[in-house]
Amino acid sequence: MSSDSSHSAKSASNSKRSFNSTNSNQSGANSFSKNKKERVGDSGQKTLGMAWGSGSRSSSRSSFRSSPFTDFGSYMEVKNRKLHEQFDAEASISSHGGSGSKKPVFHGVSIYVDGYTVPSSQELRGYMLKHGGRFENYFSRQRVTHIICSNLPNSKVKNLRSFSCGLPVVKPTWVLDCVVADKLLNWAPYQLDQLASETNNQPKLSAILGLRSNLVACDPANAPLTSDINISEVGDSAEDIKQPNQEYEAFEHDICDEAKDKEPSCSNKCENEVEETNERRRCSDIQSITQTLSMISGSSNKGHSTSFDPNFVETYFKNSRLHFIGTWRNRYRKRFPSSSRPSSSSSASSTCHRNTIIHIDMDCFFVSVVIRNRPGLWDKPVVVCHSDNPRGTSEISSANYPARDHGVRAGLFVRDAKACCPHLVIVPYDFEAYEEVADQFYSILHKHCNKVQAMSCDEAILDITDLDVDDPQVLASLIRKEIFDTTRCTASVGISNNILMARLATKSAKPNGQCYLPPEKVNDFLKQLPIKALPGIGRALEEKLKGRHVKTCGELRMISKESLQKDFGPKTSDMLWNHCRGIDNRLVGIIQESKSVGAEVNWGVRFKDSKDSQVFLLSLCKEVSLRLHGCGARGRTFTLKLKKRKTDEEPVKYMGCGDCDNLCHSLTVPMATDDVDVLKRITKQLFSQFHIDVKEIRGVGLHVTKLESADSVKHGNEKSSLRSWLASASPSKEKENKDHKLVNILHIVDTKNQIGGSHHHQPRSNADVGNILSNQEANHSSDVPPLSDLDSDVLEKLPPEIFSEINDIYSGKLSNFMSKHKLDSNGVGTSSILPEYVEGVAAESEPGIISENTAASSSQYIDMMPSASSHIDPSIIQELPEEIKNGITNLFPAHSAPQIRSHDHLVDQVKPTDHSSSHQLWVGNSPQWVEKFKSSDSQILRFFSDMYSGVGSTHRLSSVLLKSFSANEACLGGKTTECDDTVRCLCQLLKDYVDLELESDLEEIHTCFRLLQRLSGRSKFLLQVYNTTLPHLQTAMRENYGGSLRV
Amino acid sequence: MVRKQNQSPETEASLFLVEFLKVAITSIVFLKGIYPIGAYERRRYMNLVVHSARHPKLHSYIHDSLSELVSYFQQGMVERVAVIFFNDANVPIEKFMFKINVTRSHGEIMEDGALESSMRAFLIKLSQSEPLTKASSQDWKWEIAAYFRLLPSDNGDRWIRTQALQWQQPPMITPIKSMKADPFSVQLYIEHPDLLEPI
Repeated sequence: MSSDSSHSAKSASNSKRSFNSTNSNQSGANSFSKNKKERVGDSGQKTLGMAWGSGSRSSSRSSFRSSPFTDFGSYMEVKNRKLHEQFDAEASISSHGGSGSKKPVFHGVSIYVDGYTVPSSQELRGYMLKHGGRFENYFSRQRVTHIICSNLPNSKVKNLRSFSCGLPVVKPTWVLDCVVADKLLNWAPYQLDQLASETNNQPKLSAILGLRSNLVACDPANAPLTSDINISEVGDSAEDIKQPNQEYEAFEHDICDEAKDKEPSCSNKCENEVEETNERRRCSDIQSITQTLSMISGSSNKGHSTSFDPNFVETYFKNSRLHFIGTWRNRYRKRFPSSSRPSSSSSASSTCHRNTIIHIDMDCFFVSVVIRNRPGLWDKPVVVCHSDNPRGTSEISSANYPARDHGVRAGLFVRDAKACCPHLVIVPYDFEAYEEVADQFYSILHKHCNKVQAMSCDEAILDITDLDVDDPQVLASLIRKEIFDTTRCTASVGISNNILMARLATKSAKPNGQCYLPPEKVNDFLKQLPIKALPGIGRALEEKLKGRHVKTCGELRMISKESLQKDFGPKTSDMLWNHCRGIDNRLVGIIQESKSVGAEVNWGVRFKDSKDSQVFLLSLCKEVSLRLHGCGARGRTFTLKLKKRKTDEEPVKYMGCGDCDNLCHSLTVPMATDDVDVLKRITKQLFSQFHIDVKEIRGVGLHVTKLESADSVKHGNEKSSLRSWLASASPSKEKENKDHKLVNILHIVDTKNQIGGSHHHQPRSNADVGNILSNQEANHSSDVPPLSDLDSDVLEKLPPEIFSEINDIYSGKLSNFMSKHKLDSNGVGTSSILPEYVEGVAAESEPGIISENTAASSSQYIDMMPSASSHIDPSIIQELPEEIKNGITNLFPAHSAPQIRSHDHLVDQVKPTDHSSSHQLWVGNSPQWVEKFKSSDSQILRFFSDMYSGVGSTHRLSSVLLKSFSANEACLGGKTTECDDTVRCLCQLLKDYVDLELESDLEEIHTCFRLLQRLSGRSKFLLQVYNTTLPHLQTAMRENYGGSLRV
Repeated sequence: MVRKQNQSPETEASLFLVEFLKVAITSIVFLKGIYPIGAYERRRYMNLVVHSARHPKLHSYIHDSLSELVSYFQQGMVERVAVIFFNDANVPIEKFMFKINVTRSHGEIMEDGALESSMRAFLIKLSQSEPLTKASSQDWKWEIAAYFRLLPSDNGDRWIRTQALQWQQPPMITPIKSMKADPFSVQLYIEHPDLLEPI
């Protein structure tokens, strides 16, 4: 603290602030009330210390930069940091007694108190502490959001911009009122009187004279935060005259109607004071403000393109009139929730008796709101435009009636307008005022009538049929008067018996008038009305009708309905026919649900690299997501539009999109979503489909269609991620996804089957437990594969959600299946359900020898391993590194191991005694199959077993088969169709024999198959065996002998 | 055939095998009728009547070729010995393949008559085989070829390149006789070109 004071002594301009900080350090964190009383005495002192003039400020600013004071600059940095820390510490203590879970009032607000104030700056600091705001001891463009002061010296008022840097300068009562209201109020009414009056009285000389306009800078009253950017524009254009100035309005960015969040009733707020619930939004707004402010100092023209401004999208939409209009409805609906529903009575009453409809429309809303507090401008030609720069390349978005008299219309370039009307006054937008006036406007309407249909922010239709009104004209003038008294803006009214006629009446009533068209006058009125006055008739239709010499509604009436239908189709012809007769059956009070939500930016889009574009897409997704949230909708179809430049030249309009090709990709997802993450993913995917150089992109739009109400798709807290539709109990529409997913899983299973079973072209075992289950399952779901086809290994690896879902599809049997499988694999391994197990035939049908088989069947677990060593090229094994070789050898049944180790010893295994467990059927002096077959149910297997015993000691299958010739047909199962199991057993026997003998005794195998071939002529059963085993033999032949056996 | 007793069992077995192959190959060539009957003389081998080449060139070709293989048989490097018949265009028409497995570790083998009877059975079967009894035309050529498991490292210049061309398709195989005995086992089969093979 001592160093504090010593430094403050050096710099007079800082003395007050260091004094403050000293106080704050002395005062206890929880003793604000006490502080307040103590400070009263101090406040007078502070005025002495206050010296925050522009001159001193600049000197202090330069002191940060110029070299002699580098020490001081770094000192200030440290001091500021320390102050912040202290403030944070105090805030954390004081917030204990605070509002708790609710978002603090001043969240995101950071004030700087300038000069003497009532209440004192310390008190204000206390409020900020208590209510989540920040208090800056030193002014900083980056951190401060509001400047609080009670009065300003003349020098500061004169040079307001350099003083405030465009930040709002507000009276301290604003803080108090906010605390009282327990919410953040619009600060505009609390603007410093000095400033408000100053700016209002100040003629726009500079603008008129075409000098560098300080239009916005000297008019902070009407152009608060949003106009900050305009300040920067002005600065920019001043510094870089070669560059045409930039307009914020997109040429054609259509906002499809929907809104970001808006606060319901405390409406007149600048953009950064949005609803408390949407904290993120607010934060980013504040960020963008500071961003904008830093742009001012940096005077970077390019800050307006996407590539340089990270908050471009937000800034862009904040400054867009079309966006304002588009998002207004949502705000309105929240404000007047009842009115958006059509009342049931209206439909009943609509046809039977005469309706009275009032159409009310504000006169040149966007201009008159801005100049409503400046009566001096009322009769002057005024236009609203984003910027007023010497080049005059910005477009006029709205013109008042005096200006229209000069031929100035919306859409004109400023320079052209000035040519028409040299005295044209150009004012910027004031979105807060628009909101305020629109709200007032609707409050009045709702007061007078309960059936209000909002057409736009400045236009509405009232149905006063049910109201007990003698003269609608009296009511209309009453409403108009009230509107003018409240808003100081004029409105025009048209009264008739339907919406169409009321609107047409309003057109003739404008400006500032009213027109009553009773039904009896409708005909005369329409007769002379030019057709293009009718809604729905645009240029194209007008030209078409002109070709038929139709210019007025009277002429249009002469054409028959049939002839209209021939030329224009049923819908258009109906519309034309009805409208030219003044027929309109639309009901008041029906607001069409929006069909799409989206955001499109076609101005200032310039990407340097794909990273830029990704950042931009991300913010666009955020915006769209916010809008979806805002209108409580979720969408299923996502369309990404890109504008790709046609030429390399920059367009005439600064940062405009120019001549572009429109490209468009869309994607429909099964589940409606408004989740920003999903949006991001989808957008990324769509974007990648374009394969476009990001430098060529001039515009990007993201639209969401196939909207569903968010309420109907209740998800609770669950994110609408993929997982949720996988895991949730299935509504019918989710079914297909599930199945699709399942099919994928099963596809994997199938593939595995193919790999595992490819050596054995063999039908699946029907005797399996699994197949019994699967037969039951077949009724359950036809497109789901039987349980036995599922690979338990795959199933085991599945995430629990997916598993449970599949389990659901199998109505719970899957988990049984899995537990059974686990038992099997752990213990005995008898019932081989999985196709891989099929190879272990012995295990399956001969429980007696299971224990010997365990090793063999366990080896079958390894997928893709050939069952027999003969399927392995020994030379390849030889080439393998030792460890891998060992690994593979271990996987193999014992008998193959020596073969793999060295095939020089092949002769070793020629002896039948060397046979291993893999070919256990041929193990032993009396091979095992003999025993097995003997105990088999099958007659034919028993027969073979007997035959083998009969031939004596030769151990040769050929002898068995040769002997079979003598047997009669019945023994060979000539007529009877043996079950698959028997066939499989015999096939396995033969295959094993082939694997065993082919290497060393081709003759024997040849003989066997010749015999079998001959036998198969007598037995269907043996034919089946022959046909099954022959491919196996030929494969083995090719591997061993490089050719196929001639049988 | 009486063997000298001072030879190692391996060499003895190899010489035994070569002797056997000599007889078998001469029989094949004789049965195919490539040369007039006058080129052969009747001999007795293992109590069987066999034909031996009388013509010196024929005799020396068969003898020399197989004698060269003795050391390779000992090393177990020879996998197959083939008698290839081919036409003027050097396209093989028929291949008689002797698939040979020599077991190095054997003890006293000559005592029992198992090998002798196996060999006799082999030769009898050979003479009775249907493909061999079908006489071929006189303008066929033939040669003896050996298939090795590994490339022989020594004396590359002593080898003559086979003139026979390769078949495009895997051949059809007809087994004739398989003989499993202790010092060596021999399988004889015939390879014919696949039906798809262009000849």
